[in-house]
Amino acid sequence: MAAAGAFGVTPHKVAVCVLLQMYSPPAQAEPLFSVSQHNHLGLYLLAITKSHGDFLEPKLADLLTQLKDISGSLGDWLIEHLTSRLSSLSSPDDLAVLFSEFRGILGGTESAVIEDNQVVLDPNSYLGMFVRRCVLAFNLLSFEGVCHLLTNIGNYCKEALSSCLPYQLHGLDDSVNDLETPSAYENMDLENFVFQKVTEEIVANKQASQRNSFHLHTSKALSGLVEDVEIVAGSLYNRAGNSGETCFSSDTIASGTRGADTSGNMFLRTTSQLQGFFMEQADAIEKHGCSFPLNGFEVILNRIKNLAPELHRVHFLHYLTCLYHDDYFGALENLRRFFDYSVGIGGFDITPVPSRSKGFERYETGLLCLGMLQFHFGHPKQALEVLTEAVRVSQQQSNDSCLAYTLATICTLSSEMGSSSTSGLLGTSYSHTATIGTSLYFKQQLFVLLREALKRAESLSLKRLIASNHLAMAKFDLMNVQRPLLSFGPKASIKLRTCPITVCKELRSCLHLVSEYASESPTMTIEGSSYLVRATAWEIYGSATLARVNSLVFATCYLDASSLSDAALVHAKLIQHLATFQGYRDAFSALKVAEEKFLSISRPVILLLKLQLLHERALHRGNLKLALQLCNELGVLASPFNGVDNQLKIEASMRHARTLLAAKQYRQASEVAQSIFCLCYQFNMQVENASVLLLLAEIHKKSGNAVLGLPYALASLSFCQSFNLDLLEASAKVTLAELWLSLGTNHAKRALTLLHGAFPMVLGHGGLELRARARLIEAQCYLCDPSYSVVEESEIVLDALKQASDEFEFLEYHEMAAEAFYLMALVYDKLGQPDEREEASDSFKKHILALENPHEEEEKEDDEPVLAMLVE
Amino acid sequence: MSSKENCRNELRTAIRQLSDRCLHPAAKWAAEQLVGIEQDPAKFTPANTRFQRGSSSIRRRFRTNEIASATPLTPIAGVSYVSTPVMEEDEAVDNDFYLLGKTYFDCREYRRAAHALRDQTAKKSVFLRNYALFLAGEKRKEEESIELTGLGNSESTNCELVTIEIELSTLRKNGTIDPFGLYLYGIVLKEKGNQNLARMVLVESVNCYPWNWSAWSELQALCSTPEILSSLSLSNHWMKDFFLASAYQELKMHNESLAKYEYLQGTFSFSNYVQAQIAQVQYSLREFEQVEVIFEELLRNDPYRVEDMDMYSNVLYAKECFSALSYLAHRVFMTDKYRPESCCIIANYYSLKGQHEKAVTYFKRALKLNKNYLTAWTLMGHEYVEMKNTPAAVDAYRRAVDINPRDYRAWYGLGQAYEVMGMPFYALHYFKKSVFLQANDARLWIAMAQCYETDQLQMLEEAIKCYKRAASCGDKEAIALQQLAKLHRELGRFEEAAFYYKKDLERMEAEEREAQNMVEALSFLAEHCREMKRYEEAEVYCARLMDYGGPEKETAKNILRGIRGDTSLPSMDVDHFRP
Repeated sequence: MAAAGAFGVTPHKVAVCVLLQMYSPPAQAEPLFSVSQHNHLGLYLLAITKSHGDFLEPKLADLLTQLKDISGSLGDWLIEHLTSRLSSLSSPDDLAVLFSEFRGILGGTESAVIEDNQVVLDPNSYLGMFVRRCVLAFNLLSFEGVCHLLTNIGNYCKEALSSCLPYQLHGLDDSVNDLETPSAYENMDLENFVFQKVTEEIVANKQASQRNSFHLHTSKALSGLVEDVEIVAGSLYNRAGNSGETCFSSDTIASGTRGADTSGNMFLRTTSQLQGFFMEQADAIEKHGCSFPLNGFEVILNRIKNLAPELHRVHFLHYLTCLYHDDYFGALENLRRFFDYSVGIGGFDITPVPSRSKGFERYETGLLCLGMLQFHFGHPKQALEVLTEAVRVSQQQSNDSCLAYTLATICTLSSEMGSSSTSGLLGTSYSHTATIGTSLYFKQQLFVLLREALKRAESLSLKRLIASNHLAMAKFDLMNVQRPLLSFGPKASIKLRTCPITVCKELRSCLHLVSEYASESPTMTIEGSSYLVRATAWEIYGSATLARVNSLVFATCYLDASSLSDAALVHAKLIQHLATFQGYRDAFSALKVAEEKFLSISRPVILLLKLQLLHERALHRGNLKLALQLCNELGVLASPFNGVDNQLKIEASMRHARTLLAAKQYRQASEVAQSIFCLCYQFNMQVENASVLLLLAEIHKKSGNAVLGLPYALASLSFCQSFNLDLLEASAKVTLAELWLSLGTNHAKRALTLLHGAFPMVLGHGGLELRARARLIEAQCYLCDPSYSVVEESEIVLDALKQASDEFEFLEYHEMAAEAFYLMALVYDKLGQPDEREEASDSFKKHILALENPHEEEEKEDDEPVLAMLVE
Repeated sequence: MSSKENCRNELRTAIRQLSDRCLHPAAKWAAEQLVGIEQDPAKFTPANTRFQRGSSSIRRRFRTNEIASATPLTPIAGVSYVSTPVMEEDEAVDNDFYLLGKTYFDCREYRRAAHALRDQTAKKSVFLRNYALFLAGEKRKEEESIELTGLGNSESTNCELVTIEIELSTLRKNGTIDPFGLYLYGIVLKEKGNQNLARMVLVESVNCYPWNWSAWSELQALCSTPEILSSLSLSNHWMKDFFLASAYQELKMHNESLAKYEYLQGTFSFSNYVQAQIAQVQYSLREFEQVEVIFEELLRNDPYRVEDMDMYSNVLYAKECFSALSYLAHRVFMTDKYRPESCCIIANYYSLKGQHEKAVTYFKRALKLNKNYLTAWTLMGHEYVEMKNTPAAVDAYRRAVDINPRDYRAWYGLGQAYEVMGMPFYALHYFKKSVFLQANDARLWIAMAQCYETDQLQMLEEAIKCYKRAASCGDKEAIALQQLAKLHRELGRFEEAAFYYKKDLERMEAEEREAQNMVEALSFLAEHCREMKRYEEAEVYCARLMDYGGPEKETAKNILRGIRGDTSLPSMDVDHFRP
């Protein structure tokens, strides 16, 4: 008899064969079905022999309820017949007779006489093959095997019968459980586990209800087959569809957890069904990430491991769950175990591997996976070592596709980890002077590598890989200035700018390629992420509308095909956009929706967003203590390892510096900013550099040292220009104008010109804060300008001030709003309009008071759950 | 206080009680220990000394740290033993059904035995019924695993476990369970994966009735870490010493284990068991000579012994004793060819002969008989490596490691296999694992160092660290020092290189080995000393180098000429140095 996971005869398969027998009855029998009923039954049988929503074969009771659902009135007859047929089997010979009857339902070539109304199963059809395999497997059974089958069929029927008397059985079960309880208590882990299981089930159920609306991800084979039947037997297939869709219904957990003692009657499905199950689970794990229920799934994996130790895929799934639950050692061990085992036999057995030297081919894959693992856990050096080995071994084995994937991974690794990690590899110790050279060298290397990877992928026509390489290229172009690779000297062009056109071109070719390809879910993922990259690109280039549009495209078209973390990311982007353009109220209400949607999922992304919004608001409101606390919490989210999560670390420090600046602690603020600058320099993050420089200019400006601020602002400006950061450039210009203005009234004209130059960008794409600031400064410039007369052209100033004050009020930016109202009051005073003046000064007073007592405002809003959640 | 006589009496009673309950392995063990106790010279009768070997020459040779047989069985450091009263049986006369059941049991008709005992309430009968049921389940389980699957595939379970557990846990709750019942309950719990409770129950069992060695062994299997071991609250009985010795051994606390066994030999000086265990410890300490001597004696006294003989065969293998190994293989084959140990010994013989395919066949047979046979998996891995079937080797090693993650040999094998396949970085992980488990084994450190040294990695600093560890662990093959010198020289650290060359030289002198290495060391040192302007030293090295013929001699001459030039001494005829 074959091993458990392979195609062995099981009670369930016998039952299916009996049903098939009824499906194709002998000629003389009355036609029992209408044509449509007959078809439904056929489709149903096809579906259950192919389904891979679960790993265990269904119990008889489940089969019976499904039958009832599908065939209505006929159901009873089917059930009756099936159960009586199965329970009539009392000796091994009965089984032999039954199986020889099964042979009869196949129309063989030799049986020439087929009467007209007889329904014959084509032996080469899927169902025909199924019957043939069952018969063959039965014929191969030893006598012991037949005895086993007989006992198992007995148990199979007994369970179904006893489930008809559920209460009686439950009573029995409970008594067993009672006896076991002391052991459960002595083993505390168990208790914990039960608790976790329950919560996981809740999550799983939530997911189930949430995913219902999207039906892109179901296994095509089954849903295609089932499409027609769904109308009739809706309930059944919805259930089946769901378990494929959510990949994890609570049923599955239950079947995994129960039966530690009834294992005798559990049968795994066939190997191919199991492989389908594994693939689906793997997809689900990758998609749901850390929210995938861990313990329940581990129980299932252990059950499968016990039932069929030869299925090594289990180790791979184990590795995946560990990976997404940040269990480094577990992941490492299971990955290695998987490859150790699968080398000899069959690990990646369903991927179409060309038949040559199968065994060895997998080692490179193992190395590749190990490299990605180390990368995932933030060990760039180890990852690079492993990937280098992967390159070497794939070259030795001339495994081109693995090589292409490895190169692509190295590219991602190097672009994310930056130069510092690799410069360490080259053996140069870190020093400021050394990094300039190495980081440039490193960027060039990365560029060459990217090109090489792309070329390789193209020559192998691995479309997904080409697409993702295009994406990587786009990302590279986005963040790096173009430099001539080899040419030096005076003739080499030194146009040090990034090239938005190339970025767009890369993105376009990625999308183009992918859309050529059928809309399978993996390509959908890449397509989706190309939109995400677009959105990010436009954010950087400073087109608010385009960024928003691309995010929206992603959110509407690709949400269900993408991983949850991407989905959370796009939500975060949209909410951020809302906050900058429409103020906090809308943003927070949207945040609440997002939080519910991504309940425990991708917590970091949403949490990060929440902290960002809260910090921003606290800063504006002048609640600096809270702001400090918030940016500290933000910093904690970053990994403690050097070189990992740089973006987050920089953001946290930037916010820290801004908080210090708001608290007028200039020295500390500038110290923090300097340290960020060093970090950016070390990791070659030039886009971030631009904003750090601007922050430094801001600090000097506020500390009253405009002369010192100027070079920083100019440096930032030139950074912005070479990286095409248009919006940041505009805000640098605004700061520059402020600096000029604070140098004296005689510079007011120059400042105004500068400001007006930036206006198209500021008003077109800038957020509330930037716009308001620009208008306020404009007003200040006019007022300082000796050639300007308030009485004659008051409209210009008042208009600007009104707009500024409105927008500041929207943002609850008390300090700046107060300033705007103050100026407004002055102007009205000059104009001799006391009513308006009083109104403005009242507003001024209001904002000043609010600024001085930031806590009152928070208390007013303590019904707000967002804050309450954070405070706890 | 237990004296030898006490032990003897306790064991005699225990053997009867254990046999009454058909706990045959435990009874066998107790009987072995009973005859293993040294006789008082006063009661010396020839009949009693049939199994004893006072005249053995080996004994005299190896009992250096004599814990004189005269010393009574006093516990170490004044620990006093609790005296556990010998258990009284409930009923003096055995019930008829019990007698029937026991005979069925003895004929291995377990289900029949359980059936015959179905309505009995006496403790002995209740235990026997459950035990019979358990064994019936075990038998069926084994049959099933053969019926259903091939080698190493899915596990079948004992279907009687639930029934037995229910009955025994009820008995335990009522307080009417006896120590034997507790033992069985412990096994059942262990099988069901409830380790903590199983440990507790087994501790209860051995505290009530310490003479059941099977219970101790089950308990020992549940002590996977020293912490667990020290957390057990065991009463002090002399049986506890046996337990601790075996537990220490399993936890690789070899010296503690050896001390315990040697202490036990004070009383059980003729116990084959104790001797075999000492051999096991010595084997772990790689004292092959001693192991061989012990086994020779064991085989003389107990020629049909198969237990532990696989270890002996490993020793013979390591010493490349072809005929002795074949003799042993023949002997166990005639005794019982369907023992995993026998198959393993035969496989070892074929492996030594270089017939690896045949060796694999026999290892496979051993694994069919016991698929958790750790040594066989590891050794089969070695065979596959020899056959250049690395993937199969990896698979075999991995199985060994999954059975016992503390098996450093299998980890080492995995490392080696991957290194052979040109994946040194991947292999490092496995070497690290093995080194972690066996930190004082120079061979492992050297293997790891060589892995770091490979062309692909060239991580020489790490290699140097490993070689240093190897050198400090007493590297018998003297690879470490030499490599250290060479690596330092390659890295241009001549002082360090000179240091290690000198050390290596001293070693070679001490061991009176002459080799190419000697020449290399001498010529480097001569050159180095000359460069450091330590001319006298350099001249000494040159003089030694002159002993070798050929190119070395020329080198030496050149160096000497150089020295003359440097020191601008009056030129001297170098040929004077000719011996």
